[in-house]
Amino acid sequence: MKKWLVLLFAAMLVFMLAACTTSDSGNDEESGSDDDSTEETDDSGEDGEDTDREAEVDGDNVLYLNNAQEPTSFDPPVGFDAISWNALNNLLEGLTRLDDSHQPTEAIAEDWEVSDDGTEYTFNIREDANWSNGDPVTAEDFVYAWTRLLDPDTASPAAFLGYFIEGGEAFNNGEGSEDDVMIEATDEKTLTVTLEAPTGFFLNVVANPAFFPVNHQVAEENPDWHTEADSFVSNGPFSLQEWNHESDMLFERNEEYWDAENVALDQVHWAMVNDTNTEYQMYDSGELDTSGIPSDLADELLDSDDVVFADQAGTYFYRFNVTMEPFQNENIRKAFAMVMNQEDIVEYITRNEEEPAKGFVAPGLEDADGNEFRETNGDLLEYNPEEARELLEQGMEEEGYDELPEVVLSYNTSDEHRSIAEYMQEVYAEELDVEVSLENTEWSVFLEDQRNLEMQFSRSSFLADYADPVNFLESFVTDSSMNRTGWSNDEYDQLIADSKAESDEAQRFEYLYEAEEILFDEMPLFPLYFYNQITLQNPDVTGVVRHPVGYLELKWAEKQ
Amino acid sequence: MLKYTIKRFLLMIMTIWIIATLTFVLMNAIPGSPFNEERTSNEAVQANLEAHFNLDQSPLVQYAGYLKSIATFDYGPSIKKPNDSVNDLLSRGFPISAELGIISVTVALLSGVVLGVIAALRHNGIIDYLAMTIAVLGISIPNFVLATLLIQQLSVNAGVLPVATWSSPMHMILPTIALATGPMAIIARLTRSSMLEVLTQDYIKMARAKGLSPMTIIVKHALKNALMPVVTIMGTILAGVLTGTFVIEKIFAIPGMGQYFVESINQRDYPVIMGTTVFYSAFLVVILFIVDITYGFLDPRVKIHKEEGN
Repeated sequence: MKKWLVLLFAAMLVFMLAACTTSDSGNDEESGSDDDSTEETDDSGEDGEDTDREAEVDGDNVLYLNNAQEPTSFDPPVGFDAISWNALNNLLEGLTRLDDSHQPTEAIAEDWEVSDDGTEYTFNIREDANWSNGDPVTAEDFVYAWTRLLDPDTASPAAFLGYFIEGGEAFNNGEGSEDDVMIEATDEKTLTVTLEAPTGFFLNVVANPAFFPVNHQVAEENPDWHTEADSFVSNGPFSLQEWNHESDMLFERNEEYWDAENVALDQVHWAMVNDTNTEYQMYDSGELDTSGIPSDLADELLDSDDVVFADQAGTYFYRFNVTMEPFQNENIRKAFAMVMNQEDIVEYITRNEEEPAKGFVAPGLEDADGNEFRETNGDLLEYNPEEARELLEQGMEEEGYDELPEVVLSYNTSDEHRSIAEYMQEVYAEELDVEVSLENTEWSVFLEDQRNLEMQFSRSSFLADYADPVNFLESFVTDSSMNRTGWSNDEYDQLIADSKAESDEAQRFEYLYEAEEILFDEMPLFPLYFYNQITLQNPDVTGVVRHPVGYLELKWAEKQ
Repeated sequence: MLKYTIKRFLLMIMTIWIIATLTFVLMNAIPGSPFNEERTSNEAVQANLEAHFNLDQSPLVQYAGYLKSIATFDYGPSIKKPNDSVNDLLSRGFPISAELGIISVTVALLSGVVLGVIAALRHNGIIDYLAMTIAVLGISIPNFVLATLLIQQLSVNAGVLPVATWSSPMHMILPTIALATGPMAIIARLTRSSMLEVLTQDYIKMARAKGLSPMTIIVKHALKNALMPVVTIMGTILAGVLTGTFVIEKIFAIPGMGQYFVESINQRDYPVIMGTTVFYSAFLVVILFIVDITYGFLDPRVKIHKEEGN
């Protein structure tokens, strides 16, 4: 009998091993997509009057995407995150929309005039801009939506984007009133906005979903208009046909959209799958057209033809706490920064082909003359372990240290952050002969500690909210909620303030270039790499635009 | 029996109150706030948000608010999903979790008991070893590993079943297998060992001697007694599986309740933490209560014992 047992276990083991090895069978994609198209047909059968039914059966113009999670909210000022705004960006449209080169182009606004001092914008809204229920899009819709963005009762996390508008900040923090916010509907189709200061990138800002219009007649009648597909009114390329909460969404081309003839997709189907492996397996079996890359498959997948790269205006960096020893010393900070080989981190640890960061402002942003900001300001951080050792010695001498005070490197709990932190620990031990201890905490606790300056040396990241270098650099002015280093420099603060008041674009960028240099002269932080977006995308799909700052664009997308 | 029921009921309410209080203390003890984000907006925006969700009030006022919300079954809006109240989330997620749970528990119970009985009847035979090998594998392979394996083999490679989501009966097969295998294995082992014990009892010999058919002996006499320990653990299994299994639901993108438990804590979504915890504990307490009563039906000795105890 014992023999039987052994044999049985052996057989089970063989089965398990066989199951673990993935076989390459390429013919299963059809079964997956067949499945989907049958379901779609069933769904539309229930809807009754569906014009795109043939297209659905062909399955040709339906794009299958994954939104990971249920959108936080489709109320434009409330859902301040990618899971809401990536989808919303295709349902609604603001005055401008970012084109495939990431520049703002005419959208609901047909054209606009800017006053000579750069503070007054007059937008002319298209005559043929309509809501999906047939109502015209009016200037009043924008006034309503933007005032709501700033209203303290809305409690919009994106409200600060509206501070560019005169009176906006005061209204939002309760010091001013709604009447002093300088947004005005001069007539039905003309909107006039006065800004606090000339803001060269304002046209870019109004493309942000926080500035999308809201059909005020619908919203006043039903404040929950945005929570269900039945009541949702859109003015963008797509309309919301179905929304099964926590499960899936169906977008359909919005025939009322002013530019509907240039929208190629008939439908977009959004799944909500919040697991990278499952997402990839769905992509692999043809149930999705795009997918992220599970990190353990990165090596084999990065070389495949399906990979699409896009820039992402964001920086992975470390903050020094200049109020804690030993990082009150500039040379010690510089030593810790210069000894780090960013190329190694990108190549061997993150393995996502990110660009090593030699400055804080991410690539992809242009200055007044159309030059790349990053290239113009050059490399502000150099990898030089030798000089780092000298700087460390010099710094220790300045502070009178025989031995460096204990250094604790903190990161929020995650495998990726841990591998980077461990690599850094090793580099500090080997190159600087400094023993650094590692400490990780859960995300929310981590942020709290970082903000309260309770950590010495901590992992950080920044993702831009709007496409201008000042968005990166304003983080480090004294007492900014994003500063979190204790660092303060009057000259730096002045440069950022000047840049915000400057109407001459060339001069404005001069200020910003100088500010970034100061940041690296004193080094209260040092960057590791710039983020990027890597996606697996069905090669039949074209025209999906991913902005470095901004949200997914499906207006020009096509599926062969 | 009535006195016992009332006592148990009051005890249930006490239990839930203690759990709610502990939850409140713990969630206030962990640092962080629902509005802690990497890119924080400025203080005015934060203050508006806190005022909007009553987080600027003193802990005592907040505690009273939560007790009131538990009493009235209305937990107010979720902080992180401002469109939905906690009740919306529960009423949306629970039916789906429960559906998956009931299917899985049924599958687990039926297959587990059958497997266990067969193993016991063919004690130390090939079938016994086979059944117990399956059971050991079922217990030792974590369900998320099994889930990924099933998806890879049956969906990606063979293409017979859809990968994920919860939209048709076909979509339910894989999550059910993944979720049912563990409980099935536990039930099978329990059934087998208690069956073995029961089969050696005198009354079974007596039944055999009377000349009853083997089927009657097994089902009517042996199994009824052998199922006692299974009923005991069914309570816990049922409560755990019905209120959502975070990992399986995440892997298969099933919009059940499991995600709210875990994510609400990470996001410090206080009303949702409170709502899900109280809901889960109330559910567990009720099921344990039902299990207790079921004992009485299955085994008259339990009832006598309890009355003596009271």
